[in-house]
Parts: sequence; structure tokens; C-alpha cells
Amino acid sequence: MEKTEAQLLCSRTLKKGAEPLTEATLLPTCLALGGKEVLVCCVCGSAAGRLQRLPGGAGSFTMDETVAEYIRRTVLKIPRDEIKTMLQKWGFLSETQLQTINFHQMKDNISQEVVQLCEENSASIKQAAVLDIIYNHSYPNKRIWSVYQMNKTEEETDFFDLTDFRKKFKRQLRSTLKNVTINFREYENNAIWIRIAWGTPYTKPNQYKTSYVVYHSQTPYTFISSSVLKSNLPLLCQALVVASNYQDIHEMELRSHSLNSLEDIVFKRYSQNFETYCPRPLQESTAARETDLRIVQENINEKERILRVNREAFGDGPQPKLEFAEYKLETMFTSDPKLEVLHKKEPFRCTVKFHSPHLLESLKSLAPAGMADAPLSPLLTCIPHKARNYFKIREKKGFFPGSFVSP
Amino acid sequence: MEEGKAHPPEGVFAHLEMLEARAHEAAVKQVAMEQRKEQLARLEARVQELRQWRDELQAKVELQEQGQHGQEGVVTDPVQHSAQAVLEWKIRKVKSTLQVFYLTGISGKLSKQGVCFCISTAYEGTYLDSYYLDLLTEPEVRIHRHSIPTFIPMEQIAKKYLQTDIRRFLSVLSDHLNAYVRRRYQADQLQEHFSDQIEGTMQRNSLCNLLVFNYNPSSKSETFPFNARLLYGDLCCSLPTEVVVSCAPDAPAALAEMAAAHSDLFRRLALHKAFGSFGSAGEHVDGAQ
Repeated sequence: MEKTEAQLLCSRTLKKGAEPLTEATLLPTCLALGGKEVLVCCVCGSAAGRLQRLPGGAGSFTMDETVAEYIRRTVLKIPRDEIKTMLQKWGFLSETQLQTINFHQMKDNISQEVVQLCEENSASIKQAAVLDIIYNHSYPNKRIWSVYQMNKTEEETDFFDLTDFRKKFKRQLRSTLKNVTINFREYENNAIWIRIAWGTPYTKPNQYKTSYVVYHSQTPYTFISSSVLKSNLPLLCQALVVASNYQDIHEMELRSHSLNSLEDIVFKRYSQNFETYCPRPLQESTAARETDLRIVQENINEKERILRVNREAFGDGPQPKLEFAEYKLETMFTSDPKLEVLHKKEPFRCTVKFHSPHLLESLKSLAPAGMADAPLSPLLTCIPHKARNYFKIREKKGFFPGSFVSP
Repeated sequence: MEEGKAHPPEGVFAHLEMLEARAHEAAVKQVAMEQRKEQLARLEARVQELRQWRDELQAKVELQEQGQHGQEGVVTDPVQHSAQAVLEWKIRKVKSTLQVFYLTGISGKLSKQGVCFCISTAYEGTYLDSYYLDLLTEPEVRIHRHSIPTFIPMEQIAKKYLQTDIRRFLSVLSDHLNAYVRRRYQADQLQEHFSDQIEGTMQRNSLCNLLVFNYNPSSKSETFPFNARLLYGDLCCSLPTEVVVSCAPDAPAALAEMAAAHSDLFRRLALHKAFGSFGSAGEHVDGAQ
């Protein structure tokens, strides 16, 4: 037979059992589609990734090269001492397979060994994507996350069904764009992680420019770390709204690398200073710790006031982690009309940006360190309460919900 | 010999008697001496004690005098003193009453601009999470800050009751929170104690008002023939309103019967308790077969 080297069978056909193959039932294994040659199963004609040569053929079918390369690169991203635990979480390689890997060699070699084992198990992009989700879940700080809020008008009890959500999300996204890789993974805190790799109608999904969505069921908030390919964001938002039974979605102007802190802010889990009678540990005042009686704190009252006011604004506990805050001022210059200085309708435009590895903690320590007056401007202290770190400051008549007036 | 015998004995007896009497006297004296010594020691100790007491009292008097000299003009009024003590006692009592209120689940404290409420939840004698609600009272009642989970429909409850009936608002909110926490607690308990009877992890949502899982009533076998779908239609309730337990369509009739019995059990009992009751019931069925 001339075609022997190209006779491929997909796994489903193999499972069904070897039907007697005749010349008539065999399809040509190479189909020319849009100028590109595509390998298909010679019985059912499907072009799935897991094709195997006919039993007896020379060698077994190796997995997609792009999948192998993707797994290799993902493994390279993981710190060496965590590779093993992450592969265990992945669960794609068996424990005996994992034992054969030498984790004490160069990462490059480890990744090669992992890829080899994955080839044995004939991994597809589906499994590779799961490994990527596991990596991103362990290192969410490598991405920048933005919070989106969804709205709906009718208020009815929602029985969120995960399988339903998945189905709707996939169907909605695939209805507009066929070439997408969508993967889900649920975590214990009712968070659903969604990874989307985008393609175009003519190209395969780009696995290296993925979007990530973290959605907590029955909440109106989603955390999106969008791909570099921004044009797909509306599609993603639409799919989310449809799948979770909401009507519209908008960005909240709250962004950070720390996904956990964003969750703490919108889910109101950050430390807020609530006044209650509930027993809570008393804070030792700094004055009591002063042992040397000769030292007199002259401004002890002032210091205590600062501490109290600061505590009212920030609470006792640690602050959520944000790296930046941005204020855009668009206010009119108001002066005596007689002076005729800058009597224009054009507003002043200026942008103030704050950068810090831990912005809220540094703001919290400003007043006690004597670097700012207490209380701080509400513009700075309202960040977690308003759940936003991008502000536009306009004249009071502005329609902006915050409607701040510059001090 | 007779005489000799009779005479000397008289003399000897008299002598012995005398000696006996003397010995007795001596013994009595000794006892008396010892008693006196003991008494002396006791009295001396008592004297010591009294002296110490006197010294202490003297020191106290001195201290008091010094104190009075130190803060001249201030006269300690015993009446005022006791009034203050009563006041303090009253404050303590009120505070502990407030702590008792905390035990009821809803407690509040007046803050600068309004009231801060604390709603604490519990299930079967176990304290679970506490949630806070800061209300402003001027110009109208509104929610300032809170730590209530977003999936609790607080806005709807507020729309209904906040302006008209704050008591109702708080009690409905507390019902919602308690029911949510209890549903979550049951699911957690099931996951924790019966993980070997459940296939993988149970599928649930944030409100825990839909739970889906495959399970096996006994932990012995490896297959999970039953699929349960529990729907909690009433958000103020910790028992499901709709239960569907199904098994494979080609399963034997006994299994289908068991599924029906389980579905009834899930509707009546807390989830982890229902599973706890399988332990004995499951074996019973095995034995009957």
C-alpha cells in the first residue's frame, strides 16, 4: 500500500475497535484546507490533535509541537523548587512518571524531561492550558488585574450552576470567534478561573497572549487580566454578562497586581474600623511604654490624636496591597473676574500619580511619621471604601459619582 | 523467817509506795512543765503576731496621714466614695449586659454619626462569622460601611425595610446571614468528614444555595452511584427546598428506592447529619440483601 505512512486514526476510532479497513472506507489522510495541509483521521475524518498511526505503522504519533513548546516554556517559568508540587497539582503525569524526573538538574533539562513524559501521555493544548492556570493561580501577581462590575435590574434568587455557566460562556464566545481556547478551573473559595487564548478567524489561538478571568459565583464583580490583544475584551465581557445572567458590565477603575487585595477590597474583607462592643484586644498606648520619667512627651495629646484619627481612617489590620493611585484634575481656575487672570472656560488639567510597592500602608504611615497632617485627605483614604484607585476630579456639578472637589 | 519476812516487807512496801508517789509527783510536774512551755510558746507566737499586726496598722496609719498631708484640702468622703463604687459597678453591669446582647446575635453601638451594628452568626452552639454594618442616621438612615458578603441581597432588603422598620431590616439580614453561614458550614462539614464518600469535590456556589455531588452512602466501595442536586430556594433557610437524588437509569430497583429515601432524608436533616445516618442505615440495607 502506498498510503501506509499517512494512515492515521483518531483515538475515538481506535476505541471503537478496529473495523476492517478497506480502500473504500479510508479517507485521504491529508486534506488540503485553505492551502494548508491538515492531517485527519482516515476513518471518521476528524482533525483532532490525538491522531495515531495505524497499529503496525512505524512509530507512534507525537503530540503537537506547539503544545510541547508551550509546556516547556510554562515549566521554565516555575521556580525550580516548586516544579514538582505544581506538576503534582496538575495531575496529568502519574506519580511514577514524576519519580523518574530528576528535579535537581538545570531547569532546561527538567522541562525537556517533562515534555518527553507529556508526549508519552499525548498531551493536548487542553492539558497544557490547565498547567498554565495552575501557574497563574500560584503567581497572580505576575499579571495586572482590573475589576469589572456587572449590573442587573430584576432581582431574583440566582441558583448559580457551574456547568451552566461554563456552557453558556463557551457558547457565547465561540458563536463569534471559533478559534479560541477556553479553559476553566474551580478553586475552593468558589472562584472560577477562566483562561482564554485568542485566535482570529484565520489563525490558531495564541497561547502566549492569554486573558484571565477570575469570577466568584453570584457576585457582581469579575477580575480580568486582559490579553495584550485588547480588541477581544468586548467579546469577553459579553460572554461573562451572558453566562452569569447580568445585563451590563463596566470597569471599576480599580487595578492592581495583587488579586487577593482587589478581592478583599470589593468583597469588603479589608480591615475596617468598626466600633462595637465585641471584645477585642486592647492596644497598649505608646505613652505607657515610656519608662524614663525624666522624658516628658510635650505633644503627647497631639500624637494620640493622630493615632486615633489614623485608626479611624485605616483600621487596625493590614491594608490591601495596591501599587498605584492616579488622580486626574479637571478643575476650573476661579479668580476675581476684575483681575481677568486666566478667565477662560478651559479647565486646568493635571495628573497626580502615586507609586509605591504598598501604597495604602505607606499612606497609613504618613501621619504617624509626621510627614502629613492627620487626618489625610479623604481623596487618599477613600480608596478601599470607594473601591477605585483611578479618579477624575472635576467641579462639583460634574456627574461623576465621587464628585470630589480638589482641596 | 516469818517475822523477818513480815517486817521488812512492810518497810519495803512503804518505801516503794513513797517512791511511787514521788515518781508520780515528778511525772505530773513534768507534764505540767511541758504544758506550760507549750502555752508559753503559743503565747509568744501570739504576741509576735499581734506585734506585727500593730506594726502594720501603724504603718497604714502613717501612710494615710502622709497621704492626707500630701493632698491637703481633699477630704475623702466615705459617702462619695461608695457612690462612685456603685456607679462603677453599674457601668460594669451595663457593659456585661451589652455583651450578653452580643450573644443574641445582633448588637449595636452608637458611633459619632450613627450606629454600628454587629451581626454574629452561629450554628448548633458553634460561633461562626461576625458581620458589621455601619449606619448613618442623618439626614436619613443609610448604609455607610459594612462587611457583608456581596452575594447577600442586602440592597434589596434595605430597599424594603431600612427606611421604615430598622428592626425588621436587621432581623431579615441576620436571617439571611445565618442561613448562608449554616449552609456553608454543612457543606464544609460534609467535605471534611465524608470526603471518601463523595466523588472529587462538591460543586457549590458562593451562596451555597445549589450543591451538586456524586456520592456513595457507605465508604467501603469505590463507585459513586448516586447523584444529588440540592436546591435551597429559601435564602433564609438552611434546609433544601428541592432535592433530586438520581442514580443510573439501568440501576436495580433497590438502588432507586434508596435514592428516594435519601432525597427525603436530605430534605429533613442537615447535610452532614444525613450522611452520618447513612453509616448504620447503609449497612442495614446490605445485610437485608
